Amino acid sequence: MHCAPTATGTFLGMGMAAVTTTQSKRTSSGRPNLTAYLFLMPAVVLVVLFFLIPTILVLYISMTNLTSANFTADIAQMEFIGFANFTTLFNDQFAQKILFNTLFYVLVTMAIFNVGASLFVSLLTTHINRRASFVFRALWLLPRITAGTVYIMMWRRMIADPPFGILNQALGAVGGTPITGSEYVWTFVVIVNGMIGMSFGMVIFTAAIESISKDIMNAALVDGSTMLQRIRYIILPLLRWPLLFVISYQTLSLLTSYEQILLLTNGGPGLYQTEVWALTAYHRALSNYFGNAQWGYGSAFAVVLVVIGVLLAALYMRVFRFRDLVAEPKIETL
Amino acid sequence: MKVDIEQLNKSFGTVVAVHDLNLDIRAGEFVAFLGPSGCGKTTTLLMIAGIYKPTGGVIRFGERVVNTVQPRDRNIGMVFQSYALYPHMSVFENIAYPLKLKGVSKDEQRVRVQRSADVMGIGDLLHRRPGQLSGGQQQRVALGRALVKEPDVLLFDEPLSNLDARLRLTMRGEIKALQKRLGITSIYVTHDQVEALTMADRIAVMNEGLLEAYDTPDDLYDHPKTLFIASFVGNPPMNILPIQAALEGDAVILQNDALRLPVRSERALKAAQQHGDLLMGVRPEDVTLSADGALCGEVFVVEPLGREDMIDVRIGQHRLAALVTTEKRIRAGNRVRLDINADKLQFFDPASKRSILWT
Amino acid sequence: MNVDETLSAPLADLSPTTVVPPPWLKMLIQIARNCLVVTVILALLALVFGSILRPALEAVNVNEELTALLSWLLIAAIPPALYLTVGFTARTLRNAHPARALVVALLAATLVYGATLLWNAAFPAAQAAQGQPSLEMTFAQADSGVVIESIVAGSAAEQAGLRVGDVITAIRRESIDLAALQSRIEEEPLGTPFRLRVQRDGEEFQVTVNSIASATGAGNAALSRAAAGRAVALVVTAVGLLVPFNWLPYLLLGVTLLPLLLGYTWLIVATFSQETHGLLPVDSTGSLGGLTLSNWDFLTEVSRRGSVWTYTLNSFAIAVIMTAALLVLCSMAAYALSRMEFRGRRLFLSFTLILHGFPAVTLLIPIYLVLLNLGALPIIGEYIGFNTLGGIALVEIAFGMPFGVWLMKGFFDNISWDMERSALIDGANRWRTFWEIILPQIRPGLFALGIFSFVGGWNTYLIPATFSTGTRIANLPVYIQQLLGETNPINWNEIAAIGLFQMIPILILFVFAQEYLLNIYSGGSKGSS
Ligand SMILES: Nc1ncnc2c1ncn2[C@@H]1O[C@H](COP(=O)(O)OP(=O)(O)O)[C@@H](O)[C@H]1O
Ligand SMILES: [Mg+2]
Repeated sequence: MHCAPTATGTFLGMGMAAVTTTQSKRTSSGRPNLTAYLFLMPAVVLVVLFFLIPTILVLYISMTNLTSANFTADIAQMEFIGFANFTTLFNDQFAQKILFNTLFYVLVTMAIFNVGASLFVSLLTTHINRRASFVFRALWLLPRITAGTVYIMMWRRMIADPPFGILNQALGAVGGTPITGSEYVWTFVVIVNGMIGMSFGMVIFTAAIESISKDIMNAALVDGSTMLQRIRYIILPLLRWPLLFVISYQTLSLLTSYEQILLLTNGGPGLYQTEVWALTAYHRALSNYFGNAQWGYGSAFAVVLVVIGVLLAALYMRVFRFRDLVAEPKIETL
Repeated sequence: MKVDIEQLNKSFGTVVAVHDLNLDIRAGEFVAFLGPSGCGKTTTLLMIAGIYKPTGGVIRFGERVVNTVQPRDRNIGMVFQSYALYPHMSVFENIAYPLKLKGVSKDEQRVRVQRSADVMGIGDLLHRRPGQLSGGQQQRVALGRALVKEPDVLLFDEPLSNLDARLRLTMRGEIKALQKRLGITSIYVTHDQVEALTMADRIAVMNEGLLEAYDTPDDLYDHPKTLFIASFVGNPPMNILPIQAALEGDAVILQNDALRLPVRSERALKAAQQHGDLLMGVRPEDVTLSADGALCGEVFVVEPLGREDMIDVRIGQHRLAALVTTEKRIRAGNRVRLDINADKLQFFDPASKRSILWT
Repeated sequence: MNVDETLSAPLADLSPTTVVPPPWLKMLIQIARNCLVVTVILALLALVFGSILRPALEAVNVNEELTALLSWLLIAAIPPALYLTVGFTARTLRNAHPARALVVALLAATLVYGATLLWNAAFPAAQAAQGQPSLEMTFAQADSGVVIESIVAGSAAEQAGLRVGDVITAIRRESIDLAALQSRIEEEPLGTPFRLRVQRDGEEFQVTVNSIASATGAGNAALSRAAAGRAVALVVTAVGLLVPFNWLPYLLLGVTLLPLLLGYTWLIVATFSQETHGLLPVDSTGSLGGLTLSNWDFLTEVSRRGSVWTYTLNSFAIAVIMTAALLVLCSMAAYALSRMEFRGRRLFLSFTLILHGFPAVTLLIPIYLVLLNLGALPIIGEYIGFNTLGGIALVEIAFGMPFGVWLMKGFFDNISWDMERSALIDGANRWRTFWEIILPQIRPGLFALGIFSFVGGWNTYLIPATFSTGTRIANLPVYIQQLLGETNPINWNEIAAIGLFQMIPILILFVFAQEYLLNIYSGGSKGSS
């Protein structure tokens, strides 16, 4: 999926709770509780198998020269080369370009779609007929629930050369010159991803706007404020937490998602033209882009993302005051 | 089943919710926990139920220490303020649930649920869902569910506060009658003193996690041991005036900067033996209008209570509330003379806030 | 005017010393102020982009496309922004004072015009880049064909060996006259190679020349584009003023949705046509028509890659396993985290939160190793290793779990404590309370998570594509991608049909459970506040 295992509004609630919760902190002196551990066990097993072990493994593999040529699943037989991969990475002439691509992609998509368009659409849909607003929001949700391959197929047809491309047909009808996908490749990468990404913000912003008390809005109406004034002075200030949440969460999603780019351009058409960091980790390690899959080197790329991801997640926990949120259970173990 | 509570303590982090609570509840007794919101009543009740673990102290059911006994093994029934009915089950299933968990056979379940429901007067609602019931009916279902397994102890946490005033009155009587008939030891948490005074055999008054008093309703009303009880129990609340008492012949002169009141009563005599400042308590119903009264003041507020008016009289900078019949047609601004029933006066030590009449 | 002013307005009316300006004057002042603000902002933007950002970007040699993209953003954003600002203030005038409204419209148009001028000043290069394609030659018609009149020195044409006086007779084998040649050059995209058949001194040979953007044509094109832009802005402004205001949001929403609508329309049209040109169904000769059902033959046929139903079954298996497992797993874990007291609760909670933002998709390399090792386990290894449905489902479940746990935790947080206490007092243990009392309360949450997991599992591409080989356990998205990646000509229309076929369950779910899908992100948030 576009946003990895896609996100949750829990953060949103957290943001709001952080403002409202004044609960006294207390250091839980919980007991080891067998029942609770049983409830948690299946989840913990999966976390260990697919998050914890892989994280440790990726750290280790990034310090080996594992390739498909000398592949082994046995850790003991991998050749340890220390930080050599990271040195290579920092001196890699393409790494810089890829980094720049990633920043460009994350910032532009975020600004235009994940925040801009989603805010725009939620403001509009909350000010129109309710039924109609449902239809619009539902339509905006379509890209997210369409399989990536089908969605990308659609877009490839959209920007195909004449006479097949939908865009070019329309351009031809008004007498414009045809465009090619490779000319505007970044534009399409951003649009294609943004159209999926914006529904996340849209849903969260819509919920936040709709939860604004009717009394406040009515009071503002009685005061004779115009719609723009209401947006500017009432809605936007109240959207601070959701905004912060969407921005922080979507940064991470954009940073680590690459399925759409993989399917749309596979990093091309020029050399590394649309390659982003996460995609590089994939390419280096899992696709035979260069014939020989460089697992160790690819892992070094992944490690960089893992570090960024963990740091960002920790940062969110601070920003959203995680500790305030975790209400103590109101049933105790005897 | 008698319930004993010894040195019970409970703190949530740094918040002390219950502090050194000692209570003994006799078998079949109806005890009310009374106190302002947040004083630790619910916390105590939930510790008795086994939902919260005490930080310290002992809870005994009969002779058995139940501190670490799971709630399901305590054989208790509980009625919550929110009723806590299971919305996805019918009334029948709700009431039958405790029996089902006990492994009672289906046939017996049916018989016992019907019996319990009939007692509560909801025998014909058994097929409905809680969502389709009125507040009063839901409360009856909750009560039925608590009763059906014939508990040793019944716990109530403000069960009537979500009902309207009339229904509350009816339910009050019903719960009381039911408890007396079944003879189940009951603990009833409320912040409404009328409920506590009318229903309970004994009342445990709590304040900020501490037990203030544990007495029969009459004793609490007539012989308040502390200033807190005096001002908390009784509606409208007792007037408290700072005063000095001095013996003058066989009369006692009660006086402060604004008033001077000669009285003759045993209680006043006791007060007069205590030199220095005192706090005098007098209930509004013991203050009467009288043409030759010793107190004189201006009526500030008149609050019609129906049968009577409550008037708020200013004497100097002191305020005195009195209950007078509506026929007197007192209006704000009137000057009135008042007298006090000297046999009902209460006196407290301002430092210790304890009564100097009752210990 | 801000809220404070609005609030104080009635007070101002009461005070005798305040001179109350007539409403129309207030209005005009407002309009003028808004216009001024917009103009200033535009000028600043133009300045920033033109003289600071662009050189800066060129200096660090990033994508030129950043500028191109920002340009487009501005082009797309400015007219609506202008309209919004001006239109909103003018709207109130429309009913009462049509004449004033007209003035405002003119004002808006002038502003838009000014914006375009500023634009041209800021982005001269951006427009040159969009010049007309040309072969850098001029031509004249002659009897024998098209005669080259002049060639730009150093141009590709000259380097290809063309000279003045050569006669072009055809492009490839199509013979051609002047008009046809010129229209071909203009129509083909920039960079199109033209293979010209040329006659010189009775000799015939072929030369290939690429078209490039001509400098001369650019000016005209830019001008006509600017004019078109202004016309569009004017129309937008006029429509906005004249059409009842309520329509505007719909218009804006519709326009932004357009690409999606077009895309999905194509998907549907394509499945029933032999070929498509744009959105139009055409037959093999390229003329309109050619509707057919043959694209759906895949439903019954068994192709070289096997029957589509095998893939469907795989898709279904992954989705169902994933849904069932996630429902049980997430609600159990979330229940413990939300409602139970145990040592390490905070640790678990913060861990889940970190996992929530964890870039797990970048860990496919070590996960591959984990799967290989799982596959080596005795007995169960056969079902959960690399290249097994179970293995794929396991990875999917793990990836979906952090989200699911937080979503469900939100729902659990909402449940009344009294109800659970009541169940415990009635004689249940936590396990029974969970299944019999609590789970039935969070059915909306289960439903939401279920739908979400199913959609995720049904659509998943990356994980099955990475952790399976061959076609044995490939699911529909993988199959579609394999078809799209074939070297022989792609049958777009059949693939579109398979794509639509793949979407059917999702669409059905979508129709029935739209609200759950829409609320999925916010659903989990209710609890924590
Ligand atoms: N689960 C809990 N966590 C933290 N503090 C609690 C909890 N339950 C009660 N308290 C605190 O303990 C005190 C007593 O609460 P409670 O027993 O509910 O009072 P009440 O007499 O109104 O029923 C209050 O200050 C309350 O904030
Ligand atoms: Mg309480």
